[in-house]
Amino acid sequence: MKVGIPKGLLYCKYHPFLVTFFGELGAEVIVSEDTNKNIFDAGIKYCVDDACLPVKIFHGHVNFLKDKCDLVVIPRIMQLWKNEYICPKFCGLPEMVLNNLNGLPPAITDPIYATSWKNLYSWAQKSGNLLGKNNRQIKVAFNKAIEAQKNHKTGIDDEGYEIKIALTGHPYNIYDKFLNMNLVKKINNLGMGIRTAEFTQEDILAREADNLYKRPFWTFVRENYGFALNSAKEKKVDGIIYVSSFNCGTDSVIIELIKNGLPDFPFLILKIDEHTGEAGINTRIEAFRDMLERRLFNESHISTLG
Amino acid sequence: MYYLGVDLGSVSTDLALVDKNHNLVEKIYLKTRGNPIKAIQEGFKILKDKYDEREITAAGTTGSGRMIASAIMGADAVKNEITAHARAALEFDKEVRTIIEIGGQDSKIIIINKGIVTDFAMNTVCAAGTGSFLDRQAERLEIPIEEFGDYALRAGSTVRIAGRCAVFAESDMIHKQQLGYAKEEIIRGLCDALVRNYLNNVGKGKTILPKVLFQGGVAANKGMKAAFEKELGFEIFVPENYSMMGAIGAAIIAGDQVKKTGKTKFRGFKLAENNIFSRSFDCDGCPNRCEVVKIYENDNILGYFGDRCSRWTGKTNEILGLRSG
Ligand code: SF4
Ligand code: SF4
Repeated sequence: MKVGIPKGLLYCKYHPFLVTFFGELGAEVIVSEDTNKNIFDAGIKYCVDDACLPVKIFHGHVNFLKDKCDLVVIPRIMQLWKNEYICPKFCGLPEMVLNNLNGLPPAITDPIYATSWKNLYSWAQKSGNLLGKNNRQIKVAFNKAIEAQKNHKTGIDDEGYEIKIALTGHPYNIYDKFLNMNLVKKINNLGMGIRTAEFTQEDILAREADNLYKRPFWTFVRENYGFALNSAKEKKVDGIIYVSSFNCGTDSVIIELIKNGLPDFPFLILKIDEHTGEAGINTRIEAFRDMLERRLFNESHISTLG
Repeated sequence: MYYLGVDLGSVSTDLALVDKNHNLVEKIYLKTRGNPIKAIQEGFKILKDKYDEREITAAGTTGSGRMIASAIMGADAVKNEITAHARAALEFDKEVRTIIEIGGQDSKIIIINKGIVTDFAMNTVCAAGTGSFLDRQAERLEIPIEEFGDYALRAGSTVRIAGRCAVFAESDMIHKQQLGYAKEEIIRGLCDALVRNYLNNVGKGKTILPKVLFQGGVAANKGMKAAFEKELGFEIFVPENYSMMGAIGAAIIAGDQVKKTGKTKFRGFKLAENNIFSRSFDCDGCPNRCEVVKIYENDNILGYFGDRCSRWTGKTNEILGLRSG
């Protein structure tokens, strides 16, 4: 049995779990390629127009897999933490994909509540049953998958740069190099180091978010807001860059919250959709670097490139 | 001794020469017309007749085509438009707090405090409010663009025009014309709409403090200046060389740079006569299959552009001897 896993959306965070789980169940796991022009174009072509770019790209990944596997996994992620939800687009993702693409193999679309291992196990059990496995086999695979996920560390915390910025935004916007036009490398090439949210502990993120008038309903809000405020207040970074998707509801909430929380802190928002030109992105990052440089160092210190 | 600045944009290519006290001594404005190489060559032909290339002791580029420009002519500084505009504005007036810049293809806002850029935003998506859009409307109304501003100022009253998006603004104008409003009123209404659009999009969430400098090609339009003043409630200023600020900034930054390096990378005016051309090819390095553009001068490769990774542009940086940081 070939199980296809699309390399889109939260794959970048949860791939150890998914890949290990299906692999341990004896399936041949096929992961789509890194986002490239073909995948991107197919996503734009098949997905509805008003979806955000990451969801469109996810369509491209499923499209890539559709003739290459017997079963495709479309994670319907409902919750990652108790009392919080993630973006509504995730809850309806399978319906979108199944309606927009033709000729798909059967899909695993059961809701995922990852608020505890126990809750997650019910998803694993259903999926395992679909592959014809018994409970013991599923249990073994599940435990290995959790182990793999726990041992997996993501995140960036560069050292040795004169300027350091916090890179915030949804993980797929930060880690999909095609989507963001090699943003991480661009920032590094301009002499700025990066720090991402993964290096701030959950309790610190939560503490910042608790200061909001209302506990955020969305996980993404808590993570990004908490990270941005903490990094700025503790002077871990000199500025914040937020990569955002056009049409993203959670992003617009987070951006406003960060602006209110840090009125005078250097903050650059990069909005990306399929029409975004690379020249405009370059100009903004370069100008941001110049701005930070002038704030931090004296006048004579100005870069020749950018 | 002069510093040369070239602002290569998709609509226009500007060349500026400043002396060592940063006074503008020469300005050349050309349409890019999709051919940046030709535009620069044309500009250099004009310069060549008036100046000796040894008089140019520093050269800088800016604008969306700044990398290409630098590959062709050799540049000491390759600077983004925000920094270049801010540099020129501060040279003009140290007290500036806000720069409103509306050019042919985009618009920007730059916030400055004590001579340092503290915030900025750019609009590269919506055409409403850019120079190209105004040109088009002037043409449609059969009014020379130079007189557009005067028409707006002559209007006794104004008409409300939807300015959120270029397409709506245009159809709304046509509608108002059919209703029989005077051209003057419509043009004034358009200026008001574009100013609202600018303040709500580009200027969103920014506090616009005086002194405000209004730069870019659209600053020539008195109607736009008046509409900004009405909306903001105070006077705004248009620097004399409002349309050359990018090129002037690039020239000044290049001058600063050469003071440190001691030697310019400028390759001289000879490129005006050389055979400079581009060829493109599909890279087969990965499934992205980028269409990469290679620029030649006679038989030499000057640089590569248009790849998604740095497989090719990395070589350009080597050729140019540029590095970041
Ligand atoms: S959170 Fe935003 S970017 Fe992510 S799927 Fe939802 S709308 Fe798209
Ligand atoms: S230039 Fe880079 S991204 Fe483009 S096809 Fe070649 S290897 Fe791939």
